[in-house]
Amino acid sequence: MSQFLQYMVAGVALGAKYALVALGFVIIFKATGVINFAQGGLVMLGAYLTYNFGVTWDLPFWVAVAMAMVVTALVGVVIERVILRYMVGRPAFALIMITVGLLFILQQVTVAIWGDDALNLGDPWGLGTFRIGDIVIQERDLWAVILAAAAVAVFFVFFRYSSLGLAMRATAIDQEAALAQGMSAKRVHAAAWAIAGATGALAGVTIAAGSASLDPSIQFIALLAFPAIILGGIDSPLGAVVGGLVIGITQSLTNGYQAEYLAFLGSGFQSVMPFVVMVLVLLVRPYGLFGTPEVKRV
Amino acid sequence: MARTSPYLVTDYRQELKAFGTGWKRFGVLVAAVLWLITPLQVGDAWLFILNFIAVFAIGGIGLNLLTGFAGQVSLGHAFFLGVGAYAAAWFGGQQELPLVLWLPIAGLVGAAIGALVGPIALRLSGHYLAIVTLALLFIGEHIFLEWTSVTGGTRGVRVNAGLSIGPVDFTALDVAGTTYSREQGLFWLLWGLVALAAVLAFNIVRTRPGRALQAIRDRDTAAEVIGVNITRYKVGVFAISSAYAAIAGGLYGAALLRSVRPEQFGDFNGILLSITFIAIIIVGGMGTTVGAILGSFVVVGLPRVIERFSGDLPFLIQGAGDSGLIRVSQFNNMLFGLLIIVFLLVEPMGIAAIWRRITTYFKAWPFSY
Amino acid sequence: MRTRSRGRSFLAVLFAGALVLGACGRDDGDETATTEPDDPSGTTETTDGEPGELTAGPGFDGETIRLGVITPETGIAAAIGGPLTAGNQVYWDSINAEGGVAGEYEVELVVRDSEYIPDTGVQQYNGIKDDVVMFQQVLGTPVTEALVPLLEDDEILAGPASLDAFWVRDPYLMPIGAPYQIQAINALSYAVDNLDAEDATLCSVTKDDDYGQTGLDGLEFGADAFGLDIDVSVEFRQGDQVFSSQIEALMGADCDIVWITALPTETIPILTEAVTRDFAPTWLGQSPTWVNALGGSDLAPYLEENFLLLSEGPQWGDDSVEGMAQMLADIEEYAPDQAPDIYFAFGYAQAWAAHQILEEAVSRGDLSPTGVLEASTTVGTLTFGGLLGDYVYGPAEDRDPPRESSIFAIDTSVEGFLSALEVNFTSEPAEDYEFDD
Repeated sequence: MSQFLQYMVAGVALGAKYALVALGFVIIFKATGVINFAQGGLVMLGAYLTYNFGVTWDLPFWVAVAMAMVVTALVGVVIERVILRYMVGRPAFALIMITVGLLFILQQVTVAIWGDDALNLGDPWGLGTFRIGDIVIQERDLWAVILAAAAVAVFFVFFRYSSLGLAMRATAIDQEAALAQGMSAKRVHAAAWAIAGATGALAGVTIAAGSASLDPSIQFIALLAFPAIILGGIDSPLGAVVGGLVIGITQSLTNGYQAEYLAFLGSGFQSVMPFVVMVLVLLVRPYGLFGTPEVKRV
Repeated sequence: MARTSPYLVTDYRQELKAFGTGWKRFGVLVAAVLWLITPLQVGDAWLFILNFIAVFAIGGIGLNLLTGFAGQVSLGHAFFLGVGAYAAAWFGGQQELPLVLWLPIAGLVGAAIGALVGPIALRLSGHYLAIVTLALLFIGEHIFLEWTSVTGGTRGVRVNAGLSIGPVDFTALDVAGTTYSREQGLFWLLWGLVALAAVLAFNIVRTRPGRALQAIRDRDTAAEVIGVNITRYKVGVFAISSAYAAIAGGLYGAALLRSVRPEQFGDFNGILLSITFIAIIIVGGMGTTVGAILGSFVVVGLPRVIERFSGDLPFLIQGAGDSGLIRVSQFNNMLFGLLIIVFLLVEPMGIAAIWRRITTYFKAWPFSY
Repeated sequence: MRTRSRGRSFLAVLFAGALVLGACGRDDGDETATTEPDDPSGTTETTDGEPGELTAGPGFDGETIRLGVITPETGIAAAIGGPLTAGNQVYWDSINAEGGVAGEYEVELVVRDSEYIPDTGVQQYNGIKDDVVMFQQVLGTPVTEALVPLLEDDEILAGPASLDAFWVRDPYLMPIGAPYQIQAINALSYAVDNLDAEDATLCSVTKDDDYGQTGLDGLEFGADAFGLDIDVSVEFRQGDQVFSSQIEALMGADCDIVWITALPTETIPILTEAVTRDFAPTWLGQSPTWVNALGGSDLAPYLEENFLLLSEGPQWGDDSVEGMAQMLADIEEYAPDQAPDIYFAFGYAQAWAAHQILEEAVSRGDLSPTGVLEASTTVGTLTFGGLLGDYVYGPAEDRDPPRESSIFAIDTSVEGFLSALEVNFTSEPAEDYEFDD
């Protein structure tokens, strides 16, 4: 039992990181209809900026995180203003690919500035742990969960009570009607990219925390978050969180038990399992667990 | 003689003709001559790059059918490339079948798997499809790793498939006492196959299935209403596109790489490979067969050209101890991203459209309609 | 009909033109088409200082020797490719300052970026293979494996920058250093002598690919030879995110000694999981588990207590070893900013190996690629002034790699964080291990 719980802890921790990445995807998709493949680039940029402010400039860690979130948000806004604004109304394919192009540029700029060597992010969590009975919880994992939960709470409040949040929801439902009500689509789109940038930076911090764990490969975790967003439904923040947790736990439990119970699938199935789960869920629910079905109008 | 607009078509026969105008015939001739003489003029190092371009053009033509004509986005193209490469290794290498057999078999295997996966994938549309095809890469790599008797597991497998048609061995051509290098022979073989692939694709798109696909791309509901069987055509084009990819993959393995490992087609390398194909059709021109070929020249060839001349570009770094702003491949990767963005923003129909505008200008000269 | 016949004659003219053009031939067309491997038909030059003629060929114009380097300058392995290539370069800078190979032929590296992708490596290889005498460096098992069939065809020698044992018997490769298997065997020998291994629970955690297999092979061979049992062996795969079940299995068996074959990106989460679970066996790590950034990380105190690294050669900065002293002097001269780095040292030794083979090729009077290839079979023993163990060369089937390893403790107070416990030691089973691919 304690073994199972230990695996669950690892799964939830991983899932929280996926959820933070997924939230960034979802907010952009919900507001602008774009699947942002460059989200991994924002995650990476946010982590490196935190390193830059916290370690190179020697600012307090949380100040560094906040600054990284602000700068990454600004980068998001710039991307929207300079490029995505001119892509409104283009087919899904073009929107996806333009963000792929952006990903390549973000990657190369980040590496050109900070290099390829593994770095220490300078987080205060170190190797600290909490114990609940036999179960060990790493401090940085706990923070990943706290930050993910906080992000969801902020999202909820923001969409529910702020006028910008309301405008975003309205725009997501019907862009023309929202425009007619005097809501600025431009403002909404820019806000979505800013929020995604800030969330991405936060995700980057949770992923790169730990020993010598900041290197350019952290961007790849964003691709592993895809099953999470599809599973949860591409336009649902709640779905992002649930999807992230499901995928994280699935991976951890696969790692824990597959060799024992499903050995015929071959070794090392844990990286494949999220995609298998995603495909299975889509067969039953083509729009994910919490996604909005696309309505076809003739 | 009255001059009419080059676009004026007065009957269906004219519209259906593949090489209707004199200009087009001239173009085909020039291409044939270039095909014949390029290997005699160009050194092996550049021929190898041209051969690489040829293989990517074949895969690109296939993806263009799926994406450019039918409007379906797939990030799983690299998986089918892998399928083809392993099929070549197995049927051409282990079973020692000749090229005329193993290459079509590789295509059939690709088509079969495409037809199997298609119905599942194509229930989804747009964004969902793009991401679900990602799953193919991860699941595919796992199969390549685990099916060791065919794939050789993590260490991969040599692709010893023959590259001769009858007595003509393209890797060691010997015509009338003159011997030609491997790259020369393969250039004739691969670019010959590009022409074949292009003509086949061209025939698919200008006849009934092609029109059905374009109808689906432009408005699937409307297409359904006028009696196009959407599922059948979508799965069909997915299978054909997969067959193209598998054939490209077989040639990729047998003619260019000569050994393959699972990680080349899965995971992040696989995504990169799939994206390369998408970039090819974006840059070259969506929905035009010749676009895939042009795009392949730019996307595959340009980085090598830049590398070659990086010594003359002082801001590029190559090797230890060189000074400059940025490494050559970083620059190339950025350029790759930039090309995608610029073409999508400025010229969504790619080089093919630019080319068409130029030729139309001259054809219609001095009139500008 | 008229248009058609006009078209036809036009076609005939074009093709005739094509044939005329074709007859002119490409610059290197006839050469490549007819050159036999044993009959290099490039320019033959007589050089002043040499007795007899020195055969030139691709990559050697009679003055400068060009060597290829296919390495990741960007991508996931760039942190390894950078220092390794710098090591190559510093070695040749110092040789060139004395005139070059045989005192008169300067060496130039032609570096191309593989991005650690086999496909890109193949493209880069084809781009420069007609331009180089040999490949000084090819980095990474996947890229090297992809190039082996091409090297065979083109009859070119290449230096692989990894310690896989498959390379030992490949006549087209120039391996240096003791293969990974030797590291694992010597690690066990150290454990028997110093860690009471006979009474300990011995375990392993290895990657489930060809790289992981090298460590496991050596470990199993060594365990057999020393009469030890490997109690628990767990594996993981590229891209894995969670390692809790692996640690759970090792903890469940109460492992005292754990052999680990992994890359830094995997070593770090594995050790982090171990620390947080209060699991503190003695870890014995294959050389690529280490990355310098670990020395400044939160894991450092745990590593100082519990982690030993297997590698080869002396501690960084130990100038009592001739090869190290020479390397440090060259660094001071040509790359004063270079930080201590095991990959730099490997690159330096690799260039040293190529230098010895090129000297042999010069004295045999043939600096063509095939000449260099043949020189590698007659060069005798490659030595590195103690930087790496001696490697007996000869025909590939007679090659005998070094059997020495060094074992390092982690010590944040020393330069490079690695403090040598034992340098270049070997063991009987390591001497006995046979490399037959």
